Amino acid sequence: MSDLKREAWLLGRSRAALAALLLLFLCAGAGVALGLATVSRDRAAIDRMLAGQPAEESALAAFVDDAGYGAYYGFQPTWNPPSDLAFAALGNRDIAPTMLRIRALALEGQIYENEAANPELALPGRFDLAFVVVYLAPLVLIALLHDLWSGEREAGRLYALQATPAARRHIWGPRIVVRAGGVLAVLLVPFAVGAAITGTSPLRALAFAGIIVLACLFWTAVALLVARRGNSSAVNAASLAALWFALTLVAPAAAGLAINAGVTVPDGAALARENREDVHAGWDRPRDATMQRFLALYPQHAPGSALPPTFHWKWYFAFQHLGDLHVASASKAYRDGIARRADLARAAGWLLPPAGLSQAMARLARTDVAAQLAYQQRIRAYHTRLREFYYDYLFSEKPFGPADLATVPRFDPAGGM
Amino acid sequence: MPTPPLFIADLVVERGDKRIVDGLSLSLAPGEIYALLGGNGAGKSTTLFAILGFLERQGGSLTVGGVDVAANPDAVRRQVAYLPENVALYDHLTARENVDYFLKVAGCPRSRADVDAGFEGVGLAAAAWDERAARFSKGMRQKTAIALALLRETPLMLLDEPTSGLDPAAAGDFHRLLETLGRRGVAVLMVTHDLLGAADTADRIGLIQAGRIAREWTASPTVPRFDLNALHSGFASAR
Ligand SMILES: Nc1ncnc2c1ncn2[C@@H]1O[C@H](COP(=O)(O)OP(=O)(O)OP(=O)(O)O)[C@@H](O)[C@H]1O
Ligand SMILES: [Mg+2]
Repeated sequence: MSDLKREAWLLGRSRAALAALLLLFLCAGAGVALGLATVSRDRAAIDRMLAGQPAEESALAAFVDDAGYGAYYGFQPTWNPPSDLAFAALGNRDIAPTMLRIRALALEGQIYENEAANPELALPGRFDLAFVVVYLAPLVLIALLHDLWSGEREAGRLYALQATPAARRHIWGPRIVVRAGGVLAVLLVPFAVGAAITGTSPLRALAFAGIIVLACLFWTAVALLVARRGNSSAVNAASLAALWFALTLVAPAAAGLAINAGVTVPDGAALARENREDVHAGWDRPRDATMQRFLALYPQHAPGSALPPTFHWKWYFAFQHLGDLHVASASKAYRDGIARRADLARAAGWLLPPAGLSQAMARLARTDVAAQLAYQQRIRAYHTRLREFYYDYLFSEKPFGPADLATVPRFDPAGGM
Repeated sequence: MPTPPLFIADLVVERGDKRIVDGLSLSLAPGEIYALLGGNGAGKSTTLFAILGFLERQGGSLTVGGVDVAANPDAVRRQVAYLPENVALYDHLTARENVDYFLKVAGCPRSRADVDAGFEGVGLAAAAWDERAARFSKGMRQKTAIALALLRETPLMLLDEPTSGLDPAAAGDFHRLLETLGRRGVAVLMVTHDLLGAADTADRIGLIQAGRIAREWTASPTVPRFDLNALHSGFASAR
């Protein structure tokens, strides 16, 4: 304990070390603050969407006297609420939609309309705490540890220090603990504040903190392995900078490129277009053929399926659904491709600890690709319930009024698939 | 017979593929001051490194207070205060902070009054005690480091060129200080190039050559303690 106190005191007397730690502290604090702001902006947008829903529904109730109108005009909110750790690792939340208002029309186009980017292997993304942990903290650890021994040797103090009894236990050990611990502290304090503000569950906060600890341990170990080799401080610093560059930037980017080249994923926008074009083509297809294909899927609706000579919503919604089926396999290929890329990226993460740790943070924060795909699947499940709710009215000619509008199935963000 | 503070017999130390120390024998009794002289690169500092366990020995025996350094370097280092050949302090710390830090590292913190007395003893001007070492002259650094070594209060001191950088008056003070240490029973092994200084204080003077003590002189109880002419010609012949 007194050794730790003494070494902490010595570290505190070094202006350069303090400046590095202060800078990292400010970065971590800024990362947490930006994360909190992003999350609360997301929450506010979701709240706004939900708050606007009753007004929209009462407007709808004023003119809807038919299930077809209800299904056609009735937008329903779906949303993927930020987890209690999202503030620390925004992950894909900024590129993937976190809320979507959907209708009982063909769904795939509605989903993929917003799909812009394919998630990559932990390329530097948003400035958040995870970014600071993965990219900046290693640099400070390297700065504080690369010359642990060489610095003393070059200053001429090494012999005097080594001549003291049990230098390893009394000097080097405590010195490493204090320096790595200092880095850890300036990361964990802002995180703890962010978790307290968010009300993160203690266990999950602890798990996330554990990943931060692992990241620091990894770079401490790397820095010490290099520092021990007996080279000069300049050589150590250069080697470690090169390692940092290779491990956090080059290798993950190369792995990401290789994975993306190796696993092809259908273009989401093209999929949306295909979906819409097939739906449009539905207008011109023989109505009977459309209904037959639809009834093969929903035989229970056969009794009420006879079409009047004029337009009827049941035909309209039948070819909407067939439009989804038309791209179902491409949509699955898309999801499988994204999931496969994510799996490969995770496997690569075992070889590239910085990338692996950043994935682990996003996974825990539920801001990763898997969480995004899970949200999409919840939308699909909900869309099915929504469609089938309206089919019951459309095919039974049950009257539909404002009271029925109130019983429309609601999206459950927690799952309920 | 009490265990000697330092006992070296037939010591062999190699650095790289060079045999630097080759059959060196040297023992100190409590309170004895031994001056080790020799040309540049003769192996004086290397001998001190071997005593501290920085370098492995390839032969012979070496104990400090009866403890073999190869078996238990920490027990040895606890008994030894070491003044390195090139004193370096933490420049951003004051003299007092440096001494406090190194004493704590060695596990023997001292009171402020003790440190003051230590500084006084080596003649470090009081104005410098709380000044950053970055502004120190070589002699001031040397004095700080000597004070530090003395404050350790170990039974054995290894001093590598302690008077280098000291002005003549300070060197004289230092030699008086050594004598009081000797009287307190501290054994001192001092590497030096200062023949006169050695003759002034040492109980024995050894000349290291070809990796061993080639010549040795013992002080006579009467003045002059050493025959300076004999010392000089001894050194001249050693080159
Ligand atoms: N790190 C090293 N590796 C290999 N050989 C070394 C190393 N350091 C010193 N030597 C060699 O060991 C020999 C003895 O060096 P040492 O420092 O013990 O001399 P010294 O007697 O203290 O000399 P000086 O009076 O110049 O201080 C020299 O020949 C030197 O070249
Ligand atoms: Mg030397």
